[in-house]
Order: sequence, then structure tokens, then C-alpha cells
Amino acid sequence: MRTALYGSKMADTATGGSGTRPGGKQASTPADNYYLARRRTLQVVVSSLLTEAGFESAEKAAVETLTEMLQSYISEMGRSAKSYCEHTARTQPTLSDIVVTLVEMGFNVETLPAYAKRSQRMVITAPPVTNQPVTPKALTAGQNKPHPSHIPSHFPEFPDPHTYIKTPTYREPVSDYQVLREKAASQRRDVERALTRFMAKTGETQSLFKDDVSTFPLIAARPFTVPYLTALLPSELEMQQMEETDSSEQDDQTDTENLPLHMSTDDSGPEKENASVLQQNTSLSGSRNGEENMIDNPYLRPVKKPKIRRKK
Amino acid sequence: FHPSGKQGSKTMNRKKGDKGFEICINNINFQRKSVVGYVELTIFPTVANLNRIKLNSKQCRIYRVRVNDLEAAFIYNDPTLEVCHHESKQRNLNYFSNAYAAAVSAVDPDAGNGELCIKVPSELWKHVDELKVLKVHINFSLDQPKGGLHFVVPNMEGSMAERGAHVFSCGYQNSTRFWFPCVDSYSELCTWKLEYTVDAAMVAVSNGDLVETVYTHDMRKKTFHYMLTIPTAASNISLAIGPFEILVDPYMHEVTHFCLPQLLPLLKHTTSYLHEVFEFYEEILTCRYPYSCFKTVFIDEAYVEVAAYASMSIFSTNLLHSAMIIDETPLTRRCLAQALAQQFFGCFISRMSWSDEWVLKGISGYIYGLWMKKTFGVNEYRHWIKQELDQIVAYELKTGGVLLHPIFGGGKEKDNPASHLHFSIKHPHTLSWEYYTMFQCKAHLVMRLIENRISMEFMLQVFNKLLSLASTASSQKFQSHMWSQMLVSTSGFLKSISNVSGKDIQPLIKQWVDQSGVVKFYGSFAFNRKRNVLELEIKQDYTSPGTQKYVGPLKVTVQELDGSFNHTLQIEENSLKHDIPCHSKSRRNKKKKIPLMNGEEVDMDLSAMDADSPLLWIRIDPDMSVLRKVEFEQSDFMWQYQLRYERDVVAQEEAILALEKFPTPASRLALTDILEQEQCFYRVRMMACFCLAKIANSMVSTWTGPPAMKSLFTRMFCCKTCPNIVKTNNFMNFQSYFLQKTMPVAMALLRDVHNLCPKEVLMFILDLIKYNDNRKNKFSDNYYRAELIDALANSVTPAVSVNNEVRTLDNLNPDVRLILEEITRFLNMEKLLPSYRHTITVSCLKAIRVLQKNGHVPSDPALFKSYAEYGHFIDVRIAALDAVVDYTKVDRSYEELQWLLTMVQNDPVPYIRHKILDMLTKNPPFTKNMESPLCNEALVDQLWKLMNSGTSHDWRLRCGAVDLYFTLFGLSRPSCLPLPELGLVLNLKEKKAVLNPTIIPESVVNNQEPVNSTNNHGQSVGFQNTFSNSQEEEEIDMDTVHDSQAFIYHHLNMLERPSTPGMSKFIGKMICSMPLHSIKHLLTPPISVLSGKEQSSGEVNMHPVSAAPLSVFSKESNSSKHSDHHHHHHHEHKKKKKKHKHKHKHKHKHDSKEKEKDPFAFSNSPASARSIRSPSLSD
Repeated sequence: MRTALYGSKMADTATGGSGTRPGGKQASTPADNYYLARRRTLQVVVSSLLTEAGFESAEKAAVETLTEMLQSYISEMGRSAKSYCEHTARTQPTLSDIVVTLVEMGFNVETLPAYAKRSQRMVITAPPVTNQPVTPKALTAGQNKPHPSHIPSHFPEFPDPHTYIKTPTYREPVSDYQVLREKAASQRRDVERALTRFMAKTGETQSLFKDDVSTFPLIAARPFTVPYLTALLPSELEMQQMEETDSSEQDDQTDTENLPLHMSTDDSGPEKENASVLQQNTSLSGSRNGEENMIDNPYLRPVKKPKIRRKK
Repeated sequence: FHPSGKQGSKTMNRKKGDKGFEICINNINFQRKSVVGYVELTIFPTVANLNRIKLNSKQCRIYRVRVNDLEAAFIYNDPTLEVCHHESKQRNLNYFSNAYAAAVSAVDPDAGNGELCIKVPSELWKHVDELKVLKVHINFSLDQPKGGLHFVVPNMEGSMAERGAHVFSCGYQNSTRFWFPCVDSYSELCTWKLEYTVDAAMVAVSNGDLVETVYTHDMRKKTFHYMLTIPTAASNISLAIGPFEILVDPYMHEVTHFCLPQLLPLLKHTTSYLHEVFEFYEEILTCRYPYSCFKTVFIDEAYVEVAAYASMSIFSTNLLHSAMIIDETPLTRRCLAQALAQQFFGCFISRMSWSDEWVLKGISGYIYGLWMKKTFGVNEYRHWIKQELDQIVAYELKTGGVLLHPIFGGGKEKDNPASHLHFSIKHPHTLSWEYYTMFQCKAHLVMRLIENRISMEFMLQVFNKLLSLASTASSQKFQSHMWSQMLVSTSGFLKSISNVSGKDIQPLIKQWVDQSGVVKFYGSFAFNRKRNVLELEIKQDYTSPGTQKYVGPLKVTVQELDGSFNHTLQIEENSLKHDIPCHSKSRRNKKKKIPLMNGEEVDMDLSAMDADSPLLWIRIDPDMSVLRKVEFEQSDFMWQYQLRYERDVVAQEEAILALEKFPTPASRLALTDILEQEQCFYRVRMMACFCLAKIANSMVSTWTGPPAMKSLFTRMFCCKTCPNIVKTNNFMNFQSYFLQKTMPVAMALLRDVHNLCPKEVLMFILDLIKYNDNRKNKFSDNYYRAELIDALANSVTPAVSVNNEVRTLDNLNPDVRLILEEITRFLNMEKLLPSYRHTITVSCLKAIRVLQKNGHVPSDPALFKSYAEYGHFIDVRIAALDAVVDYTKVDRSYEELQWLLTMVQNDPVPYIRHKILDMLTKNPPFTKNMESPLCNEALVDQLWKLMNSGTSHDWRLRCGAVDLYFTLFGLSRPSCLPLPELGLVLNLKEKKAVLNPTIIPESVVNNQEPVNSTNNHGQSVGFQNTFSNSQEEEEIDMDTVHDSQAFIYHHLNMLERPSTPGMSKFIGKMICSMPLHSIKHLLTPPISVLSGKEQSSGEVNMHPVSAAPLSVFSKESNSSKHSDHHHHHHHEHKKKKKKHKHKHKHKHKHDSKEKEKDPFAFSNSPASARSIRSPSLSD
């Protein structure tokens, strides 16, 4: 009865506020009830946050707008978390899905625990609709952890301990060099084999034996449009490796940063007729290179504008 | 009038204004691959009656020529477009080569000739007579050039700049005429003004200083203005346009590097070393780099790896590499150094004439050698010199000699200095590419010989003198006539040497420069104990082709117990034996250390020595101061001592080669010791690996212990705790890196008693592949992995085949299965993680071909053909093409040969086109002395067309086609051509057909019956012969002769019918007048046999055979080689007969074919008449 009452009130405000929700009067379906209840809670949350922020009063329209924003933020979070969890072939979102979602939405997750534990926070009463999902008893195991103080008690319970508790095992890690190398080698080989076989299966192949195409499948040779690029440039893997193994290349990298500068001066040249500006520019980069003299190279000079009197 | 005009233009060529040349290319269209522009040249006439101006131009479409703003008439005639106009039956390479040389001469700018002849308007004649300046303005365009200018336009989305489209000039020797009209000579200097209008996103790189870059009015294009004030030959002008990334050299701001988009990091690394090369050359030459700037451009689809032009060099983009690549680094640096050396000698200093080319190539090669010595060390330098020496020696012995300084007298064929070659050496454009490579090699070796004679100090002084004279001259105005100082000539160079050093090097020049051939020494010795004298015998072979007699000093180094002693022997005409007194008595102080040449004293185990002799080892010409090959005999222990203790890498390498013949435990020990010795030069150690493998195979029955090198490799490169696992890669030490790469390759050559690769070795290599781990390595392991695949390929032995069973998976050898597994994985991984330059793909393709060839995998070219397509990396394409070439040879596949030849004609990359011909020449599907189903008339026609007219856009390609033609068919008429049905013999010496008046035509008829009987006889013999081998076949001489006789008579008989009476009489007489052996010749190419049936007179047929091939003809036809060739030929006929039984019918058919063709030939005859007058034949 009370819920219904609440609901109708909510519906009124909703229609009054935005006018997007016709037929609010017949707020009788349970779905609508849930909707209204959540909406109501969100409004309470918004109000309490406003109070916390030091507001004494707020216009209804402002509260409505903020509520709308909060709702869409939370919906987006849910939608995104769902996508992440489905992407990893699960049906239930985990904490990490939420974290990734928040990160993706530009939220600094690290600030969250402190915020949750802040002293001046307001505790919001449980939403009135509490048709709690029943967990099948048979599947529970162990004792569920109680909520910490900053989590309201109406929030869902912790999942079963086995879903998050780690059980350390004390088996000796494999440290025998030979075994390690053996393992690394066969692992790599298996991966390579599986990968190439997969590629061969999914794409065009060539074969050395006319009667058999599957035993030694060769991925078909495909010509490149610019063959020298793949042949000369180190692969990303190698680049990574190079960065890891070598630090002396760093000098070079700072050099590379300089170069786009040269190029850009070259490009922006037409706009700058003033050569001295450019010279300053190049001398700047020169000095950054640790060289004293200015680079005066004709290819770095600006392109001149055509002279009007110049006739072809 | 003509001669005077020629004269005039010649002087014109010599004297050109200091304003010189102006090129303006104002439109470059990448989509259509076309160029539009104009050139303007300023001419100072030096003779009054200059009324014609001859310029070089090829491919260009010339719209308009103006002389001093007056329209001028011009004629364009390029005899090199089609070398032989008429000659369609002959197919004689000798004839072609002469005609080609004549055609090139006819447009040779050094002789005042050119393809483009401009008539000076008569209004200007007076002007010319006053010797006033002429300005020639030529508008031209170039549409889809096939040579000279190469467009690279990747087929993808985006603007031309985004696609990385670029264009660059290229070619072999003077090829500038392919992209603009000019005097395309190295000796015509002038100053240059160059303008290129290109897309705003592109950069145009050309010679000289970039003065300014100006936008066009619509701001969508920019014009690059270049000015080259140093007098430069047109042939040294170049151009590269593309969306290049620009890198100003951080050490030398005048130097700018250009590369294609995305490659900038590689460019930075690759060129980071260049300033050191600059410093080196400037220091030794005590001369600054002559140009005010230098540009390097790295482009795709390069014609050659390195091309040097005035103040810029064009390199292949494939020389670029990152810091992770070991193997490419020295190679690329060598290319950079070579290019820079040519800037001084080749670009700045040019040559007077083609016969002076050796000086430039020699000097640039020589100073490049000095740079090598400084950069890579004396060992590397000496190793390189030895390698070059071996190469030139092998080439000269094979082909009959390389002549550095050919002198062409007035008479042409009589004193042809290179009659042993199948091409003319009169022009660079007629040279085989291989010959030219060897020419350069010999040139720098000869420079080194000169250095040996006059000392390096004087040598460098001479260079300095040449350079400083040239740079003084370059700053002078044209009128001062100083510019000739910038051209080097042989005589000027020699004069300079004698002025500076005061030494007479004439004998040396005469021996190595004015004369071709190398020296072949055979040495052996005996020790005379009584006299304590070493009796050395040195013989020479100077009769084989490519050899010459050496007279003069020869250094011999003798290592004795008491030390090393140099002796200079005087090699004279008749003295073979030389007594050399020994310094030590044999074996007195056993414990004494032995002093070596370099002053080092070492302990040696002398137990292996001959107790009576104090000689440890002997070396002939240790400094390589003669271009020679030495075959020296000394005992195995001496070679072993030489390998262990002689410090010269060349001596060590010679010892290793010699030890191959001594498979003993002592040799094994010496080689193993060298392998382990870290102080030893890595190339020697690498060589020792292969020698050890050979020795192990020879000693297989007595070999003890694990397979050769296995324990050594384990000790050096495997983990201490688990010897079957190789350490994770660490290539910081390059010496051990190279050794680690090489050892498995050599080990895979080991064979057990069954002549199979030992299972243990194969497993070992597979384990190396399995445990290879490069994660912690600073360097890429792509070359190492590639060599492991090479090792797998080396381990493959021929499959044991039972009754020619078809190769399927089921009967696959288990070892081969393992190898295939690896190759498949490697090749597939390359698609996902490609290696640098796709080295691994290259090795995989080679290995697959090896498996095919050895019968483990069905022989099939399909895979290779897909990898050979345009769009794959060039190294991969070449490896794939090599496999196809090999397949063509082994499987005698006509289809694949056609496929290759089509590619030669159509492939977009000039280097691929050239390379296919090169590979076909090196690994020919058949040769002239071989019978092959591939050898047929269509192929002859195809190749003939290719070299006659199909390759006129690329000198190198044409010469490549000539080389292939020579390899397949020889100098004379290809044997597979059908016999001409009418025998008319021309006596080429006297340029007319010789008749023997004593013999009357009836004799032909009289001979008819017996001939038929011999014919049958020949048939039966032929049948028996099929079961005997070819050697036996060749012994049966008489039969083949009869056979051929019958053949001719038969044809004569047929011809008797319709021909003009005069003609038949003519033939009959001629045949009968010949002895048997000359009848054989009748069937062969050098003798021109013409069909007179449809011809009204013999006269028309006479002229295609110009005076050209005379001398060679007379020699060739007498050589024994050729008579062998005839045997083959006849046998072919016999087989045909056997097959068809109705040979006559067959021939009839052929006749009708000929008849169909003949009217065509006849209609052609006016053209042929013209060809007499064409410059290719006259002159």
C-alpha cells in the first residue's frame, strides 16, 4: 500500500518534472514499482549528497536533473560492466569488471575506498522494495563474511568465500634450469604451432604434397603493397625486446623527437616568411642536440611563396 | 656535307658553355608515370661550319626544338632500338654482337654521335660562323619510361605521397639519355641548372645545391631549384623524387639523408656512421670533399645497390637496418664507403674515354680498400683482397681474360683485343655485367699492385695531385679550357705517377693493364740435404685461355726452424728451378723457440716434421703482388704448420684449402685447434668448419668420438649443466656469433658410412632450433635461425627411391618429416612475425627446393612461383626465382622457362629482370653442347627478339640476354634451328660465295643413290646407339657424317625442282667442292646458308652478312668444340628419324612452312637494303 502511494507520488513528480512518462497514474505493474522505488532512492541519494555538499535547499527541477544524470551514469556503468563480463565469457560481473568500467569512464578508482569511508557520509535507508533474491542454499559453502561498517546492511551479502579466498599452495616452484628451458621451448613451440595451424586453417594455404593439404599446411604467400616495410622494420615484439635489453638507444630516441620538429618547421614554412624565426627554431633544436652551431640545411628552409612578377 | 657536320658536332661536344645545361621538369605524373619538361643547352661553336648538332636521347618524345628561338628541324634515329633489322634466319650471336657494337658506336657521344640530330636553322649559319653562342631549347616528354627513370607506385589507397610513390633515375654507365636529351658522355662537362616542379608533399633531390624551393601559384606544387656550378658530365646527373623523410646529418650539416616514409629510425641508425667515412677519405686524400653538399637517398626497387652521381648517391632502401641487425651492418657500411669513394673518383673526376674507366674504378676501389683496412682491420682486408683475386683469376681463366685498357686501332676486327669474348668491349654498353664487375675488381687490384711498386705515400700523393688540379680547374670559367683537368686519362694518370714517384711502372702497366690474362703458377720443391738448399721449381701455364706469361720478380717466403726468410726470385723465360739456400740446419736444438715472420717466437711440436729438413712451410708470392693462381705442393705436415703458426690469414686459408686433400688425424687436430683458438680470425675459423666436415667425411670409417665439431659447439655455446641445451642467445661477441651460425651448417654436411647425415647431428640441429631463445638478446637472431634452416637443408641426402614411386606423405622419410615440420612452422611464423629482410623465408624456400631435388617431396614449382610474384620482398623473390630456374633445368620444363622469360620482359623491377637472366645463365636449362627438348626454334626466336629489340631500354638487360643466348646456343648458329634447305656457302673472308668451277652439277645426281643407302645405314646405327652412352656415340664419326651428307643431298634434290637454273647450278657446285668435314660445317651456323628459291638473285641475300663477324667466324668454325657440337646435332636427326620414320615428310612440312615465311622475308628486303646503310652495319 505504502509503496503504491510512494509510487504514485513519484510518478506525479516524474510527469510533472519532465513530462516524459505518460500513464504514470496506472503505476500498478511490479516493474514500474521497482523503477519508481529506485528513482526515489536515487532522489534521496542526490538530496543527501547535496546536503553533504552544503546546500540547504534545492529546486525540484535541479534535483530531478541531477537524479537523471546519476541514473544514466549508473546505467552506463552497469551496461559497460555487463559488456566486460560477457567479453570474458561470464554472466556475473566481478569486481574487476566494475573497476575496468570505472577506469574506462574516467573515474579514479583509487579514491573510492577513502570516499566510502569518509566521516560525514550519510547512510541511506534501505529501499522499501526488498524482494531479495533467494540464494539456493545447496550451493552455499562456508561462512559468508559480514559487511564492513561502511557498507549498509541492506546491500547484498558477500559471495561464498571460495569465490575470492585464495588458498596458498606450498609446492616447490620449478627452478631447475633444464626443466625451465625445456618447458619454455615446448610451450613456445606449441603456441607457434597452434597459432600457425589456426592461421592456416582459417586462410588460404599451399601444400607441398598434392594429395595432402593438412599435414604440412603452408599459409599462402600473399604479396604486399609495400614489401620493404615489413621486411626492414623491426616487429613490435623486437622493438619491445630492444627497449628492455638496451638503454643506450635512449639517446637516439630523444633525437627522433627532434626530427618531427624539423619536419614541422618545414611544413609550416609557407606561413612564416620570416626566416629568422625559423633559424631561432632550428638553433633551438640544435642546442637541444647539444650542438653549438646552427643547422642551416637547404632542405629545412621554408618554401618560398611564388613571386608575382615571376613569369613562366 | 655530312662529314663536316659531324666534325662540327664533335667539336661542339668538346666545347660547351660555362652556362651549360638547364633542365626543367615541370610535370611529373605518378599515376600515368610520365614526365614533361624541357632542356636548354648553351653551345659555343668552335668551328665555323657547324650546321648539325647531335645529342643523345632515348625514349623521350621530342615536341619541339628551337635554336636561338628559331624552330629547328631534327631527325631521330636510334639504331640500338633494333640491332639487326633484317637478319631473321641467321640467329648468329657473333653477327649480333658486331652489329650491336656498331649500333652503339653510331650513337656514341664520345665520337660525336647521337640519336638526335638537330639541324641548325640556315638563318643562324652566319651567326655560327662568327662562333657566337647557340642556345638549343628542346621540349620533351617521357611516357611510362622502361629504363633510365624508374617509377615505384604502390597499388593502394591514398594520395601518391601517402602511398610512398617515388621515382628515381637509374641505369648502367651513361644512361642519362633515357630521361632527357643531352650529350650522354662522361667527358663532356658543363654546369647545370636543374628545376623540378613536384607535388607539395614530395621532395625532389638532385645534384648540386638546392638554391630555393618555391610554391607554384596554386600552392599545390613546389619547384626545387638546383644549381651545380662544378662542371659535371650529363651521365653523372641524377634525380629522385618522393615523399621522403629528411634527416640532416647530425655531424655534418651539409649532408642530408632521405628515406621513404616510416623508415626514419632505420635511416638514422644506418647513416650514423657516414661521417667517419668522410673523415677517412678527406684525411688520406688530404683534400676536402669536392662538392658543397652531399645527399644520400634510399629508394625501393633499386637498379643497383649503390649508384654514385655528382654530390648525391642513390641507394637501395634494403640497405637500411636497425641497431639489432648484425650481418647487414658491415655490408651497408661498405656500400656507403664505396659510394663516397666514387664521389671523388667517378663523379668529381670523370674519365676522358671509356678505355680510361679502369683508372677511376681502380682508384675508387683502392681507396675503398684502404678504408676497409682501417675499419675492419688488416685481416679482413687481406681476406677481401684474396677473395677478389680468386674471383678475377677464376673469371679470367673461364672466359679468357679481362682487359683494363683496351686500345682500339683504326682497323677494327683484326686487332680486336677481346676476340675470346662473345661481346664487344669497345663500349661499356655492350659489356656483360659479370665482365664489368670483374673489370672493377681487377682495376682496384692493379692499383694495389701499383701501390706495391711505388709505395702508398706516393700513391696518395698522385691522387691528391689529381684532385687538386681538378678542383682548381672546376672553379675556372669555361673559356680558360682548364676543365679537361677534371677528366682523368690513362696516360695522364701514368704521367702523374712517374712525376710523383720517379719510378717507371711501364712494365707493370703493360702486363696487367694493356694486356689481359692472369698468371698460373705450379710450384713444387725438393730439399737438398747435402747442399742445405731448397730446390724450388716454379712452372707456369701460359697457354690456356686467360693466362699470360709472367717475367719478373717473385717473392717466396720460407719458414725455417731458425726463422722466416724472404727471397726474391727472378722469374725468367727458361728457368724453372731456383736454388734457395737454407739458413738453418735441420733439427739441432729441439727446445728452441721458433721465430716467425712478425717477430713472434713460438714453441712448436716439431715431431711431425721431416727430420732431415729444416723447412716448416713455403709460400709463393705471399703479398699477392701478382695477379695469379698458385698451386703449390708441400707435405701435409707443412700445411698443418702453416695453418697453426703462420699469422697471415691468407696463408691460413690456403692451408685450410690444401688440407682438404689430407684427411688424417693430424689435419683434424690442426683444424680443431684453429677452431678453438679465439685469437684466430673468425673467417678462418668458419672456413675450418667446412674443411673439417670434408675431412671427417673422408675419414668416416676411422673417425672416432662424437661427430666433428659437436663437442666443440657444446663446449662453446651450450649450458654447462645441461649440455644438450644451447645457451640463450647473446651475440655481443661477433666472432663467436659468426662461428655459432656457421658450425651447424658445416656439421650438417657430415655423412656416415651410408652417406647419410648422422641421426645424432640432425637431432642436434633440431634441438638448437627447439631451444633457441632470443628473448634476452640485444640483437636479432634472424640470420642465425635462417642458417639453422640452411643446416637442415644441408643434412638432406637423396631419397632412396624404389621403382620411381610417387612421392607422397605416406612414404616420407621420418627424418624428413621432422625437417618439414620445422620448415612449415618457420615459414608460417614468418607470415605473423616477419624477420629482417625475410631471411628465414629465403632459407625455407631454398630448403624446400633441396627436398624436392632430392626426391623427398614432389618436385613442383607452384609454391616458388607464388613467392616470386611482384609484391614480395626482393630477396624472397630472388630465392624463389632461383628455385624455379633450378626446376626448369632439372625437370626440363618448357612452361616454366616461358614463365621466366615472360617475367624478364614484364616484371616491374629492373633488378629482377636482370637477375632472372643472370640466374638462367649461371644455371642454364641446357647448354650449347647439350641436347635438350627445350632447345627449339621458338626459343631461339624469342631470345633473339629479346636481345635484338626487346631490351633496348636497359643496357644491362640486353647484355644479360646476350649472355644467356651465348650460354644456350654459343656464338654460332643455334643447333636446334632447322637446317636451311638450300646450301649456299659464303666465304665470309672474301665476302662472296666461292664456286669451284671444276665440279659440275651432275655429280650431285650421281651421288644420289649411294647416299640413300648410307642413309639407311645411318638409321640402323642410330638405333643401336640409343642403348649406348653418349661417349660411344661421339666416337662414331663416319656415320654421322654420312648421315648429314644424305640429309643435304636430299634437300638439294628437292630444291632442284623449281629454282632458277643458275641457282641450282650454283649450289651443286658448291657442295661437291667441299671435303667431308666442311660438309659438316655446312650444317652449322657460321656458314650462311640461304634459301634462294623465292629469291630472284643471290645478291639480296648477301648483304645481311656484313663484314662484321669475319674474324671470329673463321676461328670458330675450325675449333674442335664445334665439331663436337655437330655430332650432337646429327644424332638429333637420327633420333628424329627413328621416331617418325618418315623424316622426309617431316621435312616437307617444314618446307611448306618456310614457303609461307619466305614471301614475308622477300617483302622485307627493301628494309634490309636500308639496313645496309644504317649505321649499325656501315661505318
